Amino acid sequence: MAATHALPPAPPVQRPRVLMVGTAFASAATVMMFAGLLAVYLSRRAELIGAGDAWLPDDVSLPLQQPNVMLFTMLSSAITVQWAVYAVARNDRVNTYLALGLTFVFGIAFINMQSYLYTLMEFDITANQQAVLVYVISGAHIIMLVAAMIFVALMAFRALAGQESRRQHDGVSAAALFWHAMVVVYAVIWLAVYVTK
Amino acid sequence: MAITETRPEPATVETHVNPWGQGDEYPSFVQSLGSSDHKTIGRLFCGFSLAFGVAAWVLVGLASLHDIEDVDIIGSDHIFQVFTISRLALVFLFAVPFFLGLAIYLVPLQIGASTIAFPRAAAAAFWTWLLGAVLLIISYAANGGIGGIRSNPIDLTYLALGVTVMALLLAAVCVATTVVTLRAPGLRLDHVPMFSWAMLVATSLWLLSLPVLLANLLLIFVDHRLGRPSDFGVGLNQWPQVVWAFQQPQVFVYAIPVLGVVGDVVATMFGVRQKNRGVMLAALAAFGILSFGAWAQGFFNEEVATQWLYIGMGFAILLPMFALLGGWGTAMREGKPRINAATAGALLAMVPLLLAGLTSALYVIEPLDLQTRPYAQYGVLVLVAGSVTVAGSAALAYWAPKIWGRTPNNGLGFLAVLAGFGGSVLAGGALVVNGFQTDSSDFLNGAAAAGLVFLAGGVLLSVVSLLARGPAESDDPWAGQTLEWATSSPPPPGNFGELAPVMSAEPLLDWRDPQPEDVA
Repeated sequence: MAATHALPPAPPVQRPRVLMVGTAFASAATVMMFAGLLAVYLSRRAELIGAGDAWLPDDVSLPLQQPNVMLFTMLSSAITVQWAVYAVARNDRVNTYLALGLTFVFGIAFINMQSYLYTLMEFDITANQQAVLVYVISGAHIIMLVAAMIFVALMAFRALAGQESRRQHDGVSAAALFWHAMVVVYAVIWLAVYVTK
Repeated sequence: MAITETRPEPATVETHVNPWGQGDEYPSFVQSLGSSDHKTIGRLFCGFSLAFGVAAWVLVGLASLHDIEDVDIIGSDHIFQVFTISRLALVFLFAVPFFLGLAIYLVPLQIGASTIAFPRAAAAAFWTWLLGAVLLIISYAANGGIGGIRSNPIDLTYLALGVTVMALLLAAVCVATTVVTLRAPGLRLDHVPMFSWAMLVATSLWLLSLPVLLANLLLIFVDHRLGRPSDFGVGLNQWPQVVWAFQQPQVFVYAIPVLGVVGDVVATMFGVRQKNRGVMLAALAAFGILSFGAWAQGFFNEEVATQWLYIGMGFAILLPMFALLGGWGTAMREGKPRINAATAGALLAMVPLLLAGLTSALYVIEPLDLQTRPYAQYGVLVLVAGSVTVAGSAALAYWAPKIWGRTPNNGLGFLAVLAGFGGSVLAGGALVVNGFQTDSSDFLNGAAAAGLVFLAGGVLLSVVSLLARGPAESDDPWAGQTLEWATSSPPPPGNFGELAPVMSAEPLLDWRDPQPEDVA
């Protein structure tokens, strides 16, 4: 019987990672928008504290418990979205769906907790500049997170349709990249707005 | 078996009736509405931005006329609105979209790609930008805008401006991604044509700086909409929060593509390979980095103009310009010039830009006291936008055969270049000199207004030169060096057939005159 030899695996397809690069540029732009918002927030706060006043009015409290849970949620979602990339790169479709689904659920949980936090803060948005800044920054983050969730959901549908696989999984990778950017942005917001107030 | 009495009729094929009764299925303007072809989108961006450019220069001129004593054409109630919309239009309806349109058309061709990255996103960017621009004009017409009176139209202004800037950012993502990912095999990033490189630098800088402007707009919009609980939405504070986007160093970010246009035109028209290419690319990137100005917001940091970084950038912006001029000087010395509107425009476009750089260096010298008066910064903006206008005329003269398959009228092109150049030097120079005066001079304001009329005429003449065009001599009338000239003019769908291997920054020169090492 003639000896048979297994052929080596085919080399990965050399293709431009158009969606990844485009998402990287879009993520950079999004991060810069939050950098602009946070820069205004921090400069205004430093100005007020420098003048001897407190940043937050006496009757307003920004609790830390909910932001901590939200940070934990975002960090968990960073793990699940990367799990999706890992799974799709190995053609493990079940784990891909599970990970993308969990990421989406974490996103909903985050928005839910942010809404709850708004009710706890008792911070009237029309009260002063502090309120405007807090709501604009957190609201803009929610909007961008919803965009990231739509991106993840679209990639999940593409994966369901078999368009994301070991040889071509730029969509899931790009969604993960944008998601990670949102996680990083929230980590900075958590530190700047909720911890160092 | 069933018996049929008659033979069944063959199924009639429902044919599509051409509703227009013409040769093409749909007229070209209808095809343009739904097109995601980068060439169509590029043409649309360029066409509309040129129309807005004429209007923008006229508005800047009207605002300048108001500074002359006893001249009150617009009326004091509306002068600030005209002032603000003229600046907004100059940058976001003319300079940025014009270069983006040119890049959407040319960058895929220059790098040997069949399309732009995300073609539907590019189409969406154009239509969204146009919608934003129209809404912006409507909001100002309804007595809104920055400096306006009516509350709802003011809110609409910020919404429209946000939409406009986001659309431009989307187009910037498409252009930048194209340069990074869709280059022809063998075309290294450091071998892309100067215009493509300039657009990569420019779009990267726009993507890093204009989102900060979006953040400003968002804060103003929310605060104003909520009845001004803070000072962000207060009428007098609105323009100071966004003015950094029209002052140094940020203002130079809109002129980055000018350097790319000059680079490509000089090398081709003088018929030489650009030497020290790496240094040139680095200088262009340095110019981009030194023009990042989102951090220099005087409204939030009143002492920014006295900080070492601001002062340093004010001087340093000149260095990459000198490096580039040195490189082009070498190319010009070695080559044989082909004098036409494109060459003249490319060379003259650098003069107002250089003057803007010199003014920026003078501006940061505190004893000169330019910072206490606004004229020097007006002058820098006019010089930079004037440079964009002249370079735009040069770009249209150079690439028109590629874009339209026709050669623009050279005489009118020359006139456009001269009007733009003369106008920018006259208007920009007068405004800068006015910055040195304790009291603004009527003579200088009049000179500035006259120069601004020339600038509007320059843009208009560029458009007319395109309309008065003749047939292109060939697909490659300039003996081009870069890949866009390797296909027909205008290019067919898909742009290229099969490209020979690209081995240098001037592939067409390699293919025409193979070097010994290439043959080997």
